[in-house]
Amino acid sequence: MPLLNRETRPAGHFLRSFGNEIGLLVAVLVVVGITTYFSDSYRMKPSQNAKEILRQTALLGIFALGAGTVIISGGIDLSSGSVIAFSATICTSIILLLSPLVDNSPDTYDVSLWILLAAFAGTLLAAFLIGSFHAWLITSIGLPPFVATLASLVGLRSLARLLIEDVTRVAYDKQTGSSQIYIGDEFYHQLGSVWWIPVVIFLLLSFLLWLLLSKSVYGRHLYAMGGNEEAARLSGIRTERLKWLAYCIGSVTAAIAGILYSSEISMAEPANNGMGYELSAIAAAVVGGCGLSGGIGSIGGIMLGAVFLRVVIDAVAKIFKQKPDILEGLVVGGLVVLAVAFNELRGTGGLRKQFFPGALGILNVLILTLLAGVITAVTSTTDKLRYGIIAAVVTLLLLGAAAIRERINASRGTIPRQ
Amino acid sequence: MPTTSHIDIRNVGKRYGGVVALNDVSLGITAGEFHAIVGENGAGKSTLMKIIAGVISDYEGELRLRGESVRFAGTRDAEAVGISIIHQELNLVEELSAAANIFLGREKRNAFGLLDDRAMQQDARKLFEQLECDIPPAGPVRDLRVGDQQLVEIAKALSLQSEILIMDEPTSALTETEVERLFRVIERLKASGVTILYISHKLDEVFRMSDRVTVLRDGQLVTTTDTSETSPREVTHLMVGREIEEVDLGHERSPGDSVLAVENLSLPWTGHARQWRLQDINFQLRRGEVLGIAGLMGAGRTELLECLFGTSPEKPNGRIVLDGETVRFSHPADACRAGIAFVTEDRKRLGLFAEMSVRENITLCTLDEVSSMGLIGATTERRAAVESVELLGVKTDGVEAPVMSLSGGNQQKCVIARWLRTQPKVLLLDDPTRGIDVGAKAEIYKVVDQLCRDGMGIIVTSSELPELMTLCDRILVLCEGRQTGEFSREDFSEQSIMEAATMRE
Repeated sequence: MPLLNRETRPAGHFLRSFGNEIGLLVAVLVVVGITTYFSDSYRMKPSQNAKEILRQTALLGIFALGAGTVIISGGIDLSSGSVIAFSATICTSIILLLSPLVDNSPDTYDVSLWILLAAFAGTLLAAFLIGSFHAWLITSIGLPPFVATLASLVGLRSLARLLIEDVTRVAYDKQTGSSQIYIGDEFYHQLGSVWWIPVVIFLLLSFLLWLLLSKSVYGRHLYAMGGNEEAARLSGIRTERLKWLAYCIGSVTAAIAGILYSSEISMAEPANNGMGYELSAIAAAVVGGCGLSGGIGSIGGIMLGAVFLRVVIDAVAKIFKQKPDILEGLVVGGLVVLAVAFNELRGTGGLRKQFFPGALGILNVLILTLLAGVITAVTSTTDKLRYGIIAAVVTLLLLGAAAIRERINASRGTIPRQ
Repeated sequence: MPTTSHIDIRNVGKRYGGVVALNDVSLGITAGEFHAIVGENGAGKSTLMKIIAGVISDYEGELRLRGESVRFAGTRDAEAVGISIIHQELNLVEELSAAANIFLGREKRNAFGLLDDRAMQQDARKLFEQLECDIPPAGPVRDLRVGDQQLVEIAKALSLQSEILIMDEPTSALTETEVERLFRVIERLKASGVTILYISHKLDEVFRMSDRVTVLRDGQLVTTTDTSETSPREVTHLMVGREIEEVDLGHERSPGDSVLAVENLSLPWTGHARQWRLQDINFQLRRGEVLGIAGLMGAGRTELLECLFGTSPEKPNGRIVLDGETVRFSHPADACRAGIAFVTEDRKRLGLFAEMSVRENITLCTLDEVSSMGLIGATTERRAAVESVELLGVKTDGVEAPVMSLSGGNQQKCVIARWLRTQPKVLLLDDPTRGIDVGAKAEIYKVVDQLCRDGMGIIVTSSELPELMTLCDRILVLCEGRQTGEFSREDFSEQSIMEAATMRE
């Protein structure tokens, strides 16, 4: 009986388990290779670039781990961007309020360690409360996770902006508050800006969450709940407690990232901190192989997803000589669509379907043409108009040919009509 | 043989994967007749009707309408030539009004091209008058009782003014008076020349209304005959009359003392005409005994098991005594701990974890046994899974194989294995052999027999009577939530059990 060969695992087991991770690793190497070929910066200052990418990856990865854990458990956490802003506000507020007064205003240039620790503890506690609130809204009130965390996404940022006004007004004893808090302490600044500190925190968190998800009973139950919630409940798993755990991991990791982001820039400014980061986290998780329907994904995948996302953003920035933060939205948006589409197509018969059916299909050939033209034009440094038109014409020809071929095949009946 | 067949069904067949739902059925429907289609669950009645109504478009064989070969790509095509169907499951948009549901997809518009709600509501009211009911046309369907929702569905079919009307168990949610009203409407339709195809489990309805009756069994046509020339007894026999599986089980079992007792158990059904999903159920289960629950669809078999496991849609009344102690479970985890295991009916939806391996599926309920300090021991877990796989004879390419790579029967064994690892006192099996092949069925029977001999108390439900008669020491019969019979092994007969299962007040 093949069953009894306990030591020899079925052939292809390794590839089946880690195929996604291996693919991502190759993709990361390819992107880095291309960037090195086109960009002087990678060749001239390799270690500086590597450190910066690692630091940025770690910052993104920390809360992507949380977003990914929630996705694996079958939910979604849209709040991480705002939790980052809120946590930065809470952390700096605690420091500001506890710092000793010099000339009637708090001195944040030399903050003692206990104040920092109190600030971190307070921030993580706040994040735990946010996660617990999400879990309550979802399990007891019955809100869809999307709605519960979307409410936090818009609400928490507002709350942080209101809080910071009052905190600064009280701390500086003035009539009007400020929309930001500045922390001058050098050690605090180093936490997020010295490259290896976020990296070590990221690796440590990854290890802990890997232990939880892949090795512990809770982790197995999280995967089971994500894969089939009703079956998990009927198997005697307390699904509501697991959701509590998952959403707390989501908000606590975002809070850790929030502390590090505020330390990086030595301040909190909730109007802008972490704006839109929730989608980057979800993108990293999805690119890393987490299925949005839950039950699928791994910590290794999420880590590599974060690396891939940062490497691509950096590559586009280097090659097209643009600021990374301007390009980020475009890259994240594009990659999310591609990754999810890829997963969907793999599940449902792949390329043997009509991509441009009917009027909607023709309109979208034109939309993609327009997008290709505009994106090429705005990322070109010279001759914007010419490059834009060339890209648009090429896209139109390719997609137009595809659409026409599909229609011919459909009329022959080789592709199922929709 | 009628000379003018309105619909001619010729050698029609339909498969779902490896399962044959309908096999080479040929049947002629005469214009203007009331034709009843009867058969057990899974006999292929609904499949055949769905093919005629254009719901299913990929099938073998041919459909002829007034002598012309037709093939519908969807219900719209069928409606265009005058065929409409009232589905067994309610197909209503709950948020929309009754009138909006009736005219869904063919809404009336006013001169500006906007929705003409008033005209639709007027027409809906007229339809409801025909049905002798006063359902508010403008109110959302969600607020209606299930019986009224069914009437909306019927009104929708009437509004199409079809020549051929298919009714798939239209009375399953109706009260006696509502049934009477519906029958009066059907009489009127018949008088105006509408051909009616009528599916029902309820033979009294069939014999009261129909001109001819067709019996299906296991996807095959058994017979079509004039209703006046047959009897309910004969039709019942034709419905169930198949060979009993040749498995010799259940001899010399020696049941022990009572492990589970159910006293005056009732399960309310808020908002339904019947008020009760289950009413006044009493029984005992002994150690080393297999108790079968028989009943037609909607009789309350699954609901009864859900009450025992603490997952019923509403809180049951009455007493459940497990091992001498009254129990009341609020979460499946409580039931598990108390020693009850529940293999659910819908394996894919409620039992399996499709993304996981055989090992993970088997050990999920008992991870505490193979872990220390919350971390799972890979070797011990693996050993436990291998042990279960060998015990139940699961055919798999190792315990690391994805569970979906297994056949249906072996998937089911994995689910059973998961629950057996919890070492339950009482095992609940809800239609455990649904959708699995004959060989795997026999193996599952043997597993059940062995567990029973080891002293476990087992309750099993099935939509197939012969299966229960093979497996069980006793059979409890439910009909519409009431306990209508109890048979010991020596008194088993399909005839008498079927009669108890169709017994109406």
